[in-house]
Amino acid sequence: MKKTLCLSAALLLMLTATQGSLAQGRGNGNGNGKGGDNARDRGEDHGKRDQDSPGKGAGPKDDKGKKDRHDDPSERDRAEDRRDDRSGPVVIIRSDQPRGLIAGCPPGLAKRNNGCLPPGQERKLARARNYDGLWGRPATGAARTYTQRYDSGYIYRYDQQGGLMGYLPALGGLLSAGNLWPRQYSYNPAPRYQTDYYGLNQSYDYRYADGAIYGVNRNTSSIEQISALLTGQSPSVGQKMPAGYDAYNVPYAYRGQYADTPQSAYRYNDGAVYQLDPKTQLIQAIIKLLT
Amino acid sequence: MRTIMPWALAPLAVLLLAGCGGGQTAHLAPTDKTLGATVQADSAHAALARVVTNAGLDVALAGVGPYTLFAPPDAALKVDFADAAMKAEDAALLRAHLAPGTLTRADISSAIDHAPGKSAQIRTLSGELLTFTRQGKDIIVTAPDGAHARLTGAESLVSNGALQPVDALLLNPDAAQG
Repeated sequence: MKKTLCLSAALLLMLTATQGSLAQGRGNGNGNGKGGDNARDRGEDHGKRDQDSPGKGAGPKDDKGKKDRHDDPSERDRAEDRRDDRSGPVVIIRSDQPRGLIAGCPPGLAKRNNGCLPPGQERKLARARNYDGLWGRPATGAARTYTQRYDSGYIYRYDQQGGLMGYLPALGGLLSAGNLWPRQYSYNPAPRYQTDYYGLNQSYDYRYADGAIYGVNRNTSSIEQISALLTGQSPSVGQKMPAGYDAYNVPYAYRGQYADTPQSAYRYNDGAVYQLDPKTQLIQAIIKLLT
Repeated sequence: MRTIMPWALAPLAVLLLAGCGGGQTAHLAPTDKTLGATVQADSAHAALARVVTNAGLDVALAGVGPYTLFAPPDAALKVDFADAAMKAEDAALLRAHLAPGTLTRADISSAIDHAPGKSAQIRTLSGELLTFTRQGKDIIVTAPDGAHARLTGAESLVSNGALQPVDALLLNPDAAQG
């Protein structure tokens, strides 16, 4: 019944649109100043974007058949922060090295039998319990080129031949409240936009690493809290949105302002709303949200 | 006369269409509790609450977010994730069940309906892709390692996101890596 009603409403609107000119936006994105649209001047009236419907998801979304799901690497790209305080596009990370992997073994552990064993111990890095998949699982349709294991605070990565590639301090492992920041583990200062967005205003040194922002004691380098979780994805305007944003996920407060239209889809990630072309999934704009 | 009629109908059409969106309508009424506080207060998720605290993710889940938590049942957590020594496991488990943003059931449903092959993908905070499909009246979530669960019970729309209960872990204990 609802579908029939919706369809009728859609047809009705199309009819009226062809009869009169309904090219003006109707209540979407009227720029109440909640966030700047980085691809445009701040003052621009969003109504000028050619919206011919209220955009409450009316009508079927365009076929996403062109979007190739398999070209999105399952590996998260945690890169160096290009600290950018200009009000430009939100860019957190770009990187060559995935996840800030550290070569060799953690301090105090000797490389032995292709693992990192505490000196004097025969303890083998167990293939562990049943939940190996926690530490990195094959993505759908893609074969991983490495495996990962967890042991005593670190995630160890092995290549396909079983050779140790390096290690990472693990969230909840070494990277836990009460622990000192691992000295060998590089991090990026949490981008100012994200510390603003997440309301991180305590006197911590906020650091970003591998999908999390940590609040670190400036004097002692002790991790005080895990302040926020991020995907760490930061595609740019003009790029294709990564896979995994099929569903509308905009925060409640912004749904009225950023509702999908036939011309633009909106997807939230890491404090910003990404405006996409529904057909090509290319990013049209990145809209910072500030609370 | 001809030009008046279409204009008169337009507002009606607009109003009708407003109810047609895939969960994007403005009349959602989230509670004023955070995801973290909601989990802590829910006796049906006592084990999950302990996992959140043990992992050290209580602060983040009480923060701005928003996040959507696909909340696994306590029965699954008590077996393998309850040990206080399993902080890293608990953190990894939670990230595999958390997605960025606010996902209502209607949003997910709409995504499935509009996706090619009726199969929608949502990225978790662990970097994995969960696949959402429909099976009869149920919405099924499938993890990359083959684990699958149904969206079950009622969603909770909270101040910083949503809680979407699922009836199993999105993690296959028997899956080999690589």
